[in-house]
Amino acid sequence: MRDRRLASGGRIDRSRPLAFRFNGKGYRGFSGDTLASALLASNVRLTARSFKYHRPRGIVGSGPEEPATLVELEGCHASANRAATTVRLEDGMAARSVNCWPSPGLDLGAVSQLFAGLIPAGFYYKTFKWPGWRLYEPAIRRAAGLAGAPDAPPPDAPPPDGHFEAVHAHADVLVVGAGPAGLMAALVAGRAGRRVFLADERTEAGGSLLDRRMEIAGRPALEWVAESVAELTSMPNVTHLQDACVWAYREHNFLMVNERSPANPSMLERNWRVRAGKVILATGAIERGLVFPDNDRPGVMLASAAQAYVNRFAVKPGERAVVFANNDSAYAAAADLLASGVDVAAIVDSRDPVPDSARDLAGGIPVKGGSVVIGVRGRRSVKGAAVSKRDGQGASTIDCDLLLHSGGWSPAVHLFSQSRGSLRYDESLATFVPDEAAQACVSVGGASGELSLASALRTGAEAAAMITGTEMPDLPTTTGESYAITPLWRVDAPGAKGRAFLDIQNDVTVDDVHLALREGYENVEHVKRYTTGGMGLDQGKTGNINIIGTIALQKGVPLQDVGTTTFRPPYSPVSFGAIGGIREESVVLPYRHTPVTQWNLDRGAFMYEAGARWRRPGYFLRGDETFQETVNRECRAVRECVGVYDGSPLGKFELKGRDAGRFLDHVYTNLMSTLKPGQCRYGLMLTEDGLILDDGVAMRLGEHRWLVSTSTAHADAVHGHMEELLQTQFPDWSVHVTTVTSQWNNATVCGPRAREVMAALGTDIDLSPEELPFMRFADGHVAGLPARVVRVSFTGELSFEINVAPRHMRDLWEWIMEAGAPSGIEPVGSEASHVLRVEKGFLSLGHEVDGTVDAHDLGMSWIMSKRKADYVGKRSVELRRRGKAVRRELVGLLPADPNDQIPEGAPLTPGGEKRPSEGLVTACVWSVVLDRWVALALLENGKSRHGETVHVRLKNATVAATVGEPVFHDPDGLRMRS
Amino acid sequence: MMLIPCPFCGHRNESEFAYGGPVKPDRPDPHAASDEDWVDWLTTVPNPLGPVEERWWHVKGCGTWLTIWRDTRTHCVVEGSGDAG
Amino acid sequence: MSYNASFERLPISACFDLKGAENALVEWIGAEILPGFPTEANRRRSADGLSLDHVGPRHWLLHADIDREDELNAALRPHLAPAEVSIVRISDTMTTFRVAGADVAHVLAIGCPLDLHETAFPEDAVTFTEFFGQKALVRRCAGGFDVSVEQSYGDMMEDCLTRALR
Ligand SMILES: [Zn+2]
Repeated sequence: MRDRRLASGGRIDRSRPLAFRFNGKGYRGFSGDTLASALLASNVRLTARSFKYHRPRGIVGSGPEEPATLVELEGCHASANRAATTVRLEDGMAARSVNCWPSPGLDLGAVSQLFAGLIPAGFYYKTFKWPGWRLYEPAIRRAAGLAGAPDAPPPDAPPPDGHFEAVHAHADVLVVGAGPAGLMAALVAGRAGRRVFLADERTEAGGSLLDRRMEIAGRPALEWVAESVAELTSMPNVTHLQDACVWAYREHNFLMVNERSPANPSMLERNWRVRAGKVILATGAIERGLVFPDNDRPGVMLASAAQAYVNRFAVKPGERAVVFANNDSAYAAAADLLASGVDVAAIVDSRDPVPDSARDLAGGIPVKGGSVVIGVRGRRSVKGAAVSKRDGQGASTIDCDLLLHSGGWSPAVHLFSQSRGSLRYDESLATFVPDEAAQACVSVGGASGELSLASALRTGAEAAAMITGTEMPDLPTTTGESYAITPLWRVDAPGAKGRAFLDIQNDVTVDDVHLALREGYENVEHVKRYTTGGMGLDQGKTGNINIIGTIALQKGVPLQDVGTTTFRPPYSPVSFGAIGGIREESVVLPYRHTPVTQWNLDRGAFMYEAGARWRRPGYFLRGDETFQETVNRECRAVRECVGVYDGSPLGKFELKGRDAGRFLDHVYTNLMSTLKPGQCRYGLMLTEDGLILDDGVAMRLGEHRWLVSTSTAHADAVHGHMEELLQTQFPDWSVHVTTVTSQWNNATVCGPRAREVMAALGTDIDLSPEELPFMRFADGHVAGLPARVVRVSFTGELSFEINVAPRHMRDLWEWIMEAGAPSGIEPVGSEASHVLRVEKGFLSLGHEVDGTVDAHDLGMSWIMSKRKADYVGKRSVELRRRGKAVRRELVGLLPADPNDQIPEGAPLTPGGEKRPSEGLVTACVWSVVLDRWVALALLENGKSRHGETVHVRLKNATVAATVGEPVFHDPDGLRMRS
Repeated sequence: MMLIPCPFCGHRNESEFAYGGPVKPDRPDPHAASDEDWVDWLTTVPNPLGPVEERWWHVKGCGTWLTIWRDTRTHCVVEGSGDAG
Repeated sequence: MSYNASFERLPISACFDLKGAENALVEWIGAEILPGFPTEANRRRSADGLSLDHVGPRHWLLHADIDREDELNAALRPHLAPAEVSIVRISDTMTTFRVAGADVAHVLAIGCPLDLHETAFPEDAVTFTEFFGQKALVRRCAGGFDVSVEQSYGDMMEDCLTRALR
């Protein structure tokens, strides 16, 4: 294997060799390498296969603009679809190319090249329409797709470990990019004492200075960089991150920064969410390629990338180079390569005449003015460049193994554009530059089209001085530079035949864009979507401007009129894990516990979320019971002796004020203000459009004090509803609302023997039906604890809801279990509670209440007060009721076969036939009191159809059921009043 | 992630707030309004391309129901107790 | 642990929610009992082991050690208070995490979007904001911050903080 490493120089640490594997073979690199530079140093030329045509590809760029070499990292570095140029080499790293199997040299998918002519732009849209894209998608994804998510590493690889973090940050000034402009800006802002956040996507600061041989103040520029970094490090008000890509610029100066190698070794990536007062965009400029036939062959590379490889990584990307350019900057690259021992055969410049400023830089390299590259020899590696005059005259081939090209520089306007700043086409630079800012940001240096080192330092300093209101610092002298360009959007010399690529990653050629335009996709956004140009992971950093140029040429309009496509985040790919931060595994979703949760877990309760993030026990399996046996046992305990459940999650709000009663009359459908202290009442709340918001219980604690209890799931909605009304509609009403959901926990003892358990617990409250009847409450003590006992019932049995402070809840619970043991008490989970409420026909929001029904449909007309002139939702319900539309009304269903269970949600149709549904089953449970399945349903005109047989239509069956009252147990409610 | 000006707390992250929707006209007198007017008030919500007056509830903060003018094209808070740019 | 920070869950303390006009509250409670009302929004005033947080419009929280809860309850007489003021004992409602250490600012920033830099959030600052997605009361303590969340979220917060400190 040929080693292309230079004997000296570069930003690598030769004392720290690193071993890595690529497509299964072992190689060596150094600390400071990227995967791409290490591969080039090892003379690996063919590194990838293309997305669509599986053409052989090599390394094209040196940074995030890389369009060709995507790799999948394995093992502990696992990550999909990374550009090899952005992967910091680490010891033991293992990577493989995407898009090829088993290796890019022997790619079985390359057979698709044979059909390449059959896959033009829009091919997928046209071909796979019938009968449906879904049929073709899996096969196409397998053939053409990029790497999958890294969830299944090879069995021999160490598992990915470590974690992600997402963290907020606040800065007076956020500087994006630590090249000369960004460093200068950060220094000025930092010296002014501002909180500065400086983030740069490269592994070390310096930006383009790392890639080139420049001088600042008469010394190598990197000495100035090192001094600047040291000064920034000494400032406590400056946060400076490298290998940290600013990938999103959102509204209100909110930006996202992806830190790829945090100091913490167990942390994979960190995502900063930065809120900035001002943003200085020093993102530099990106070199674009030239568009000529076979410009994608391995060994065809951007001139600036080759310059970076010799200067920054001490790697010769080839032995004999041809440079093709339309501007001056490639001349400096050529000179650097020459100085590093690369034989530069010629500079092919499309300009005629070539400006003297450029010729002066050539340093003896032959310059062919007015000439273009019309083709590339070599399929798997460049062997020569075919060159001619622009008119096709004088064609010849120059032997080379490296073909460098430069189509000029485009400011990296991505973040500026994401911030909604507008762009303007600059004729002299032949590119788009920032125009008007939409947020508090300013572009400096290359990002603003100031392409020289001197102007980068000046604009960086100016921006920071302006923002901080400080003096301009003295600027150091720099190496002189010139930059001139004559745009060349494509090589169209006679003899230029073959695919000329605009987007190397997505295999989009000039012909594809022409086809899109011919077929009527004229807008640049349509061309993008039809051809997929610029839709790859590189987001067309090197190619988009050429697509715009191609469209402009073809349509004969200025580039300004074609415009750019919309820039969207992310600027570079970001791991989903980094965005989520620590929110993984057990904390993906929030969860809430009561003081009894641990007790439940200790007893093996099956826990799940049951509304508003509360984790509650579903049921308490015992021995080898089945699920149904467990639920039946818990239900029987409540119906036959006694059960207890934890009702703590119910929403609770204390209302205080002169107008509290009047307010409750407005939010509930029934009258509350007539309650006396010590009484409570079940009530219904509607939204203004007449739909049911919540059902709950209001208690009057005193003359002006009330407690409103809501369902668990709707506590927040009810809170917001009450506060909105009070703050926006009734600001003059005196009502204060205080949330006490977590100030009161409750254990509800329910069942015919509940009073027995209460007596065993010991209480100073007289619980006799005379003193504390149904829908009353009393304050006192239970088991020696300060408590409020409320006589409400959600099961239909005699119930005592014992409310205590959470600090006492666990004790209370254990004492209840102890005191209830002789009576056969059982803890009751949500499943049994569901059965118990269905047997009683108590409604449940989300089951019977689905956003279409009103209280009348539910047989609750009694709760819609006729005495009150107005309440929330009254007018809307009346309005809807006046229409003669058929209503679906709540009924009970008894399946003809008592053992027939009906799935909840199943439709009712006439005769069970394939006809429009006339209702649906809202709940179906095994009733322990009737020893059969029973169901609740919403049925058209259901109230007048009692006794009828209706049919549930299932996929392969129909179930007949008899319609009846929606109550299966104790219809007169004697038990809960006992 | 917007910055929303709360009259009590100052500018706060959007994630501290619950959206309350565009501000509708005052609730009509349900006894006086025609059916059409009532339905119109109930269902016709302002949805301009440009500044819209809307409510936010500072539910994770001080609890204030506040009103801002937000430009739906840019997210800029164009009026209110402060300027979030 | 990679961060120089630690957290502990504090035992509950006495807390009373006070709402209404300042003068009406003073009149009912008596000026001698309270530390004096903080005039600025989201600021705290402390005296004699009591502290009073101005956390919302016409809304304050009074804190003290839990062993003073009965004494304060007797002084505030929540259920006898006049109609125009609301006094509710909420000592159990929140659970408090004390987070401290050299890296405490970074750890707080993992959970909290608010700028807690001393220039934006001084010594006497206190506010409801967001911590790991939930409403939380944040204020400074010696060497760090006290963060209170509704107690039902306490176990989840412990989970989140443990993860944040890795
Ligand atoms: Zn607020």
